[in-house]
Amino acid sequence: MNYTALSLNQTPPLSVPLPYFLAAPLFAAVAAMGLLFAGPEFLASRWTPGMLALTHLLTVGFLGTTMLGAMQQLVPVLVGVPLPSQRAVAYLLFPLWIAGACLLILGMGRATPVMVQSGGALLALAVGVFVLLVGYSLWRSSSRHATVRSMALAIAALAVTVSLALYLILSFSGQLPLAHPLTGLHIGWGSIGWVFILLAGVAYQVVPMFQITPEYPLTLRKWLAPAVWGILVLWSLQGFFAPLIHSAWLLAAGLVVFALQTLRLQARRRRKLADVTLDFWRLAMVSLTLSVLVWAFGQRFSGIPVELLVGLLFFVGFALSAVNGMLYKIVPFLIWLHLNNRLQQAGQWQGKVPNMKQVVPERHARWQFRLHVSAQFLLIAGLVIPVVPIQAGAALWLLSSLALGWNLTGALRLYLRIAKESRQAMA
Amino acid sequence: MPERVLDVSELEAPEPLLRAIETVQTLEPGEFLRFCHRMKPCHLYRFLDENGFHADTRHGNDYECEVFIWRDGDEVAAGEAQELAAELRAWSEG
Repeated sequence: MNYTALSLNQTPPLSVPLPYFLAAPLFAAVAAMGLLFAGPEFLASRWTPGMLALTHLLTVGFLGTTMLGAMQQLVPVLVGVPLPSQRAVAYLLFPLWIAGACLLILGMGRATPVMVQSGGALLALAVGVFVLLVGYSLWRSSSRHATVRSMALAIAALAVTVSLALYLILSFSGQLPLAHPLTGLHIGWGSIGWVFILLAGVAYQVVPMFQITPEYPLTLRKWLAPAVWGILVLWSLQGFFAPLIHSAWLLAAGLVVFALQTLRLQARRRRKLADVTLDFWRLAMVSLTLSVLVWAFGQRFSGIPVELLVGLLFFVGFALSAVNGMLYKIVPFLIWLHLNNRLQQAGQWQGKVPNMKQVVPERHARWQFRLHVSAQFLLIAGLVIPVVPIQAGAALWLLSSLALGWNLTGALRLYLRIAKESRQAMA
Repeated sequence: MPERVLDVSELEAPEPLLRAIETVQTLEPGEFLRFCHRMKPCHLYRFLDENGFHADTRHGNDYECEVFIWRDGDEVAAGEAQELAAELRAWSEG
């Protein structure tokens, strides 16, 4: 059957999102290496230079890089219009973003203000371009899809996050004022406004599509993202006004509602086939719920580093797991789509295009999932149980990140091999 | 029988899209496709538009979403499809 009619009009070239997806695991691997070779002072608090660098390796390096790539892929398809100058933008944005991330993270790790400032400026420039272009496309879109609305709110939150970061960096000459109230706002808008709202919005689309579940309830799709965004505004203003409502608790409730609803949908999926993305997402939702529980009740137990544990559960357990799982659907789908289109447009090649499950073999992804779960379990144990060395979890996390990178580059290798074979066959 | 039913409610992406594209291209004169899915197939409509098909999307009774598809200019199929579609609630994003 001819699928050339499967329109690629809105789909950007593979070279637009793929570099972002392939670069992201490297940041996670460097974060794991940092933890593996760190001294005992590293985990003294979340404000040590090493811990700051590690946090930004995860948030800017892994999550930010993947999300920037994914949005450049998803927004044109969802709204039905390509981003303005998408190819040029992607090629400009990628080096800007990567250079900015590396400088910022190195500057944080070495406590070098000039590097933090330079990295922050490059990242702010990249985000500025990204927010303007994606925001323009979303604004022009007539789509009422909940994913589009969530994406618009998420990029607005990203703009707030980066503006706060820039203000902090520039106002204090690169010396980060760690306990400043604006630092708390930066973390809140970045983690909940950007990461959570974006992942929830994407989930409305990809969980039913790839995990064969019913759709999320309409009320949740319609109201969760605007409600969380609104509560974030209230939470941000609590320093200025008397706290009329416990906005932090409302935010926590929003996170738990989403996590439990996703687990419920997954339990109701129509075909109970094993699927590694499903397992990554289950882990993500359990971790999100646990992060809220630890935040709410962790102080009652002595000896638990609540802030570090909440950060680990949210960023590694929830966000990294969800993104990692989705990469195993997005990358094979894109490779399959572009191979199909390329080969069938050429018309003469009689070879077979591999299906999605052959692009990244399930058993390879399954091994990486086992490494990821074990790493997360040992990292939590390393924080909570004094006799468990954190390095054990860090070593497995390093292996897991390298395995993810290997699996994703394997998809690229397959694409290049088949593209070459088809060229030779037609020569 | 002018109605051809395609149930993709238990298939993972991109299979529903591919099955729909395969099936509509084999529609005979007078035939229409009743496409049953667990979600609205957002990516199918551009293909239908660009390849001379019409679609009417409804909330199904047994499925979350049902799309009735017929070829441009096929009045017989259009009439039959629209008569059946009218029995279901029109699709709304809420």
